[in-house]
Amino acid sequence: MIQSTSLLESWTQENNQLASGCKLSSHVFLLLCLSLSGIPPHLDRAQLELSVVYNTCVCFTAQSQFDEAELLLTQTAQRLLQIAGDDPGTSDPSVLWRTALKSVTGTALHRRVLSLLCLQWGVWLAKSRLTAVQDFQEVSLLEAQSGAVWNDCRAETKEKISNIPILVLDPRRLVDLLKICTAIVQGAERLTEGWSVLSALQAASASPAPRALIAYTHLLSGSCLAHMNRPQMALQCYRKALETDPRCVCALYQSALIYSRLENSQAEIQALRILHSMLLLPSTTEPAMAADRLLSPSLFLCSQSLSSLLSVPSALSVLHSLALKCVIHSRVSEGVECYLDLLAALQSEDQHGVRVHAAVSTLPKLPRLYLEAGAALLMARRPADCMALCDEVIGSTLDLLPEKVLLEDPVARRVAGSGEVTEEAENGLVRLLWTAAAYLLQGHCYSQLKDWKQAVTHYTRCINLLVKVHYKDTDKDAEQGVDLCVLQRLKGLSLAGRGISFAQIDRLREALRDLQLSRQAHPEGVSARRWYGEVLWRLDRKQEAAACWEQTWSNPIPSLSEALPVYAQELQSGPLLDSAELRQKLQELGPT
Amino acid sequence: MMEGRCAAESWAEFGLLGKSGSSLVKCGTGTDVFICTGGEEVYVFTAQEKTLRAVLQMPAAVRDVVVSHDEQLLFVACWSGVYCVNVQLLVPRVSSLLVVGSVLLTLCRTDASWSLTLYQIQRTSQSDPCDLLASFSLPLVSPKVQSDTESRCVLVCVYPGDLMPASSPPHPPRSHYPLQPLLFRRLFGAEAALSKSPVVLCGLPDGRLSFLPLRIPGSRLRILHSLEQSVVFVGASAVMETDAGCAGCLIALGKQGRAVLIRAGRAGLEGGGGTRFTLGCVPGPVECACMDQSRVYYSTGSDLLMVDLWDGSSGTAGRQGDKEDEASRSNPAAFLTPISLNVSGVVALHQPARSSAGEVQLLSLSVRGRLQSIRLPVRTQEDSLSKGPSSQVGRSVGDILSAIGDICERASVLKTIIRSKNQILKQLNQVVNISFLLSNRSESDLKPVRCRGSVRWSRLLQRDSLNLTCVLENLSPFVLERGWTLSVTVLPLSCPLEAGGEASSVNYSFPFSGLGPGESVEVSLPVAAAGDASFPVTVTCSLLFSLWRFLGQEEATAPLDLQSACFSLPLNTLTVDWLHALRLSDPPAPARSSSSPADLLQGFISSRQLRCRGGQASRPEEYSARVRVSSELLRDALGLAPGSPRVSLLEWLLSEGCGGVKMERKGIKTDGSSSVICGSAPDNATVKLTAEEVNVEEKTKPLVIVEVQVKSSSVAAVCGLHHAVLRRIQTLLQKAGSSRMVPTTDLRLALQQAEEQRGQVWEASSVGVSSGQTPPLLLRVYQQLRDGPLLIL
Repeated sequence: MIQSTSLLESWTQENNQLASGCKLSSHVFLLLCLSLSGIPPHLDRAQLELSVVYNTCVCFTAQSQFDEAELLLTQTAQRLLQIAGDDPGTSDPSVLWRTALKSVTGTALHRRVLSLLCLQWGVWLAKSRLTAVQDFQEVSLLEAQSGAVWNDCRAETKEKISNIPILVLDPRRLVDLLKICTAIVQGAERLTEGWSVLSALQAASASPAPRALIAYTHLLSGSCLAHMNRPQMALQCYRKALETDPRCVCALYQSALIYSRLENSQAEIQALRILHSMLLLPSTTEPAMAADRLLSPSLFLCSQSLSSLLSVPSALSVLHSLALKCVIHSRVSEGVECYLDLLAALQSEDQHGVRVHAAVSTLPKLPRLYLEAGAALLMARRPADCMALCDEVIGSTLDLLPEKVLLEDPVARRVAGSGEVTEEAENGLVRLLWTAAAYLLQGHCYSQLKDWKQAVTHYTRCINLLVKVHYKDTDKDAEQGVDLCVLQRLKGLSLAGRGISFAQIDRLREALRDLQLSRQAHPEGVSARRWYGEVLWRLDRKQEAAACWEQTWSNPIPSLSEALPVYAQELQSGPLLDSAELRQKLQELGPT
Repeated sequence: MMEGRCAAESWAEFGLLGKSGSSLVKCGTGTDVFICTGGEEVYVFTAQEKTLRAVLQMPAAVRDVVVSHDEQLLFVACWSGVYCVNVQLLVPRVSSLLVVGSVLLTLCRTDASWSLTLYQIQRTSQSDPCDLLASFSLPLVSPKVQSDTESRCVLVCVYPGDLMPASSPPHPPRSHYPLQPLLFRRLFGAEAALSKSPVVLCGLPDGRLSFLPLRIPGSRLRILHSLEQSVVFVGASAVMETDAGCAGCLIALGKQGRAVLIRAGRAGLEGGGGTRFTLGCVPGPVECACMDQSRVYYSTGSDLLMVDLWDGSSGTAGRQGDKEDEASRSNPAAFLTPISLNVSGVVALHQPARSSAGEVQLLSLSVRGRLQSIRLPVRTQEDSLSKGPSSQVGRSVGDILSAIGDICERASVLKTIIRSKNQILKQLNQVVNISFLLSNRSESDLKPVRCRGSVRWSRLLQRDSLNLTCVLENLSPFVLERGWTLSVTVLPLSCPLEAGGEASSVNYSFPFSGLGPGESVEVSLPVAAAGDASFPVTVTCSLLFSLWRFLGQEEATAPLDLQSACFSLPLNTLTVDWLHALRLSDPPAPARSSSSPADLLQGFISSRQLRCRGGQASRPEEYSARVRVSSELLRDALGLAPGSPRVSLLEWLLSEGCGGVKMERKGIKTDGSSSVICGSAPDNATVKLTAEEVNVEEKTKPLVIVEVQVKSSSVAAVCGLHHAVLRRIQTLLQKAGSSRMVPTTDLRLALQQAEEQRGQVWEASSVGVSSGQTPPLLLRVYQQLRDGPLLIL
């Protein structure tokens, strides 16, 4: 008997040594655990054994060895039941634990069993077995009641610390951590399913927890509010999240999305700018969890819907959308800078890029990026730079162009489901459109430089390319594609450009023909119509000109949109007609 | 005081410690443990999985090991210096490596896919030496097919030729090829061309050639082509002089010699962007390959070959490109004709180096582990070769000589093999011929390979035994070579009752080697011992052929089914009968002898025994049997002069070979008048053979006959000798081919007699077995039969 107590003491000491050691390893605990499990279960040693199992499982969990932890926990529950003499006759863990807990109610073992149960909870959470967690939450009420008991024990342990086995992690801290993680994961799951989880999240945000986790609760509340169509309140939540944890980049991203929905472009641009600069900082994508802790919260936050809610596009993608927003919302010079940064980042041998590239990218294809940048440069009145970029695009695509592109029947295309395929490989049509757009931009450049002959040449090249595409003009549904729409636009724009250039060198007949064709190809083209009127006027067909102007006067040149590539829209880069002059002309004509 | 028992768990076994180094165990990155056992190895063991992760082989005995603070670098101190190993890069199953700029690429096979992993290698900062950048994977085609993990993958990097990477050295590193911009664009698309991205090409053992542009957002490993055989080499070559340092053609070589040349075709072709894949074939297998500007060097293991990709066409390619295109498309084999360089056993090659003089130098590793430098002559016309400086000529002569030496060595080995194979074929031909010869003939024919026998009594260790000397004669035109065995089976026709009545055969085999036509080989074997009366004995001879013995292999290594590798050809059968086994002694009356004293003694003792027996009891019963032959017949058959046929008959009986067996006797001593021969049978009974000429008065005419009488106290001897005599006379008469009339009266008489005797036999058998009367009765009948024999006319 004396020997047995001394053995118990030595084991306790060993456990305490290991637990207070600086480097925790599940192996050594497991060894101790095994040596304890070698002897028949007995109430005297149960205290120690449960403590050792707890320590072992904490180490297992910290090393993401959830299966091992769960196995050990189940075995321990069964041993407990052996002591109590109960046999639930099942291996279902929740039933096992309920029975075990009942059997130890009122004894000294109760809180040990509860802490083990918490670990089981953590394992379920880590494995995303949320139904099991839900079942357990009833039991956890018990745990709340026993909080008082814990505190009592706490007091008495301080006196004779040597005889009590040390635990590597305070179970109360574990409970706190698990509570907030459960709230976050459940919130994310329910949010994806379309539930309102606001109250639970707000309750969780008040609990003591690491800042990053609190920030997540705010973030999720914000998302919830955004779903409930309360963007301003959502923005408030995101702001709180950022205030709690400044590294919560996804709050910033979500705010940018909300601003975009609210069409507050300036705020959106600002948000994107901050987001981009934060993404460039090292290790911001990983929320900094307390490194000194044994259990990282990220172990329990591995739900699919949560990670999709927390995901943030790559720095390059953010930079691209920032650049595009700037260009569209008339902050051209900023946009140009962003585009140039983006191109430089892509060209550089900086391997930070490669890592980002490996992830699924939302960036458009490179030639399109070049062309967008070119358009921005053109708008910023830097035609030489624009032409250089276009030259690169032309150089890389020109000898890859097909002789002829025959677009299939849209119905057949839909049946074939080739959407992904065209997405995947740059097909002939896409390349052709790139090259044509590059020529169009070059034409615009020359017209900006007032080199009309060159402009005509480049517009002609663009037109020649575009007429290689043959398609059945059935119905232009949306799925038929952006490509087809872009094709029509490019056709209209290039014809209009050539027409205007002809008009500038007084070849009015050609100008009239081209502008007429442009109006057919792209009826919405405003400058083509106005110039059509102008050419008519110069041809002394003033009535027709007036009618044309009257028609177009009401609708101004539409602002740029995100739906189409920038280069396929009217850039207002060419020679403009003075509206006052036109008005005057009309008034001249009016009385007659 | 220790309480409780400490648990020592054995994790791994590293063998005996010792040697010159020090023994260490240190913990490193995560769960890694570094172990030195004092030898030249450092073992990396994971405590988590309890497996050995890696073994680092150092050039000398390890003295100390230390891990850097970031636990990424391992420094190992040896006798020869300090070595640094990046522990993070101890990735298992990496099959190929490539460095592009500051990125290290590894290609490894996992269970379900090929994965290409990118690591950042920074030379400047030591803080983060190897950073995992990205990983790309390509699923396996089918796990079963790709079971061979040993075949290596090929990793090369190509980049557009107009772009010289800023960080690149003046000479492009190995496995880096600048590609013609047009070809680059067409192969990898406008995006790759725009981003000026280096593209990594992977040649996989399943034949797929896949590519990955490094710098394009969201790029993936995609398939360029499939060779359908393990890719051994991927390279690029300049097509024309105008290419100015960039390659206009990608080439991939498969293990079995399939080659694909990828070139840019004419612009504007529909689909594929005008890339032309030309398939060709070179004689395989391709062990390894390398290439310089326009030539591919590859080794088949037995020879090093050079393929000039643009031989002859390089001059015309510029001027009439289209024509050349058409020609090469229609006849792809035209440019894949390899030229032998006569270097054997090359298993690895390094990229060729070209000297300023245009000389190409290859560094190779031979299969025997020899590092060779192979210098190729300057490729010019013959006249420029002859004009070269003398030292160069000397060197080239040396090269040629060494090449000749190489070939000689190879040729001599091949010659030896061919010679031995020819020899074996020749010998097998002989074997087949002999087999036909021996198996085609029917039993009656005289076989061209046969055995003769002769018997003699010999005495060894105080025991007499009858030895048969068997002579195998080869009268065929073929040689019996090694692999043949003479097998002799001795089977007594009867055997003593006490032995169970079942005759047991004894088998002797005599392997021999080489028996030419007309030659013979002699073997000797015991047939019977003295006192053994189980005559006649049949001796069956056969030839055995064993393939294993023929091939000179040890019996031990032969597989168990020896029967199948062996066949047997029966030869003739010899018979040794009582007459052969008869030992002559002098006629008892005139005791005069020239035989050896031992014989004399024996004769004396036996005669004494007889006397004694005769003296004590009544004279022992003497059995006799007679054979009567007409003298005239005998004379005809034996071809003797009329005189004394009886003597000659006895001599003939004793000396003539019968059943293929001869008796060796020194000379037959017969009494001139009585012509009596005395001797002892193998069962030691004395026998007496007499031959007398008797005048018989037949009913019509007088007739002279010879009567041979066998007398002995042993029934067995009488029976056996009678049988032997009859058999000989039978064969003699068969040979003479006599067909004479048999007098009918005699026949009638003989018939009467036969009936009478049959009745007696019947009576004897009906008297009953129990009475014990049967044997004497039967004996009497038998004697009557033997005593009153028919006259053989």
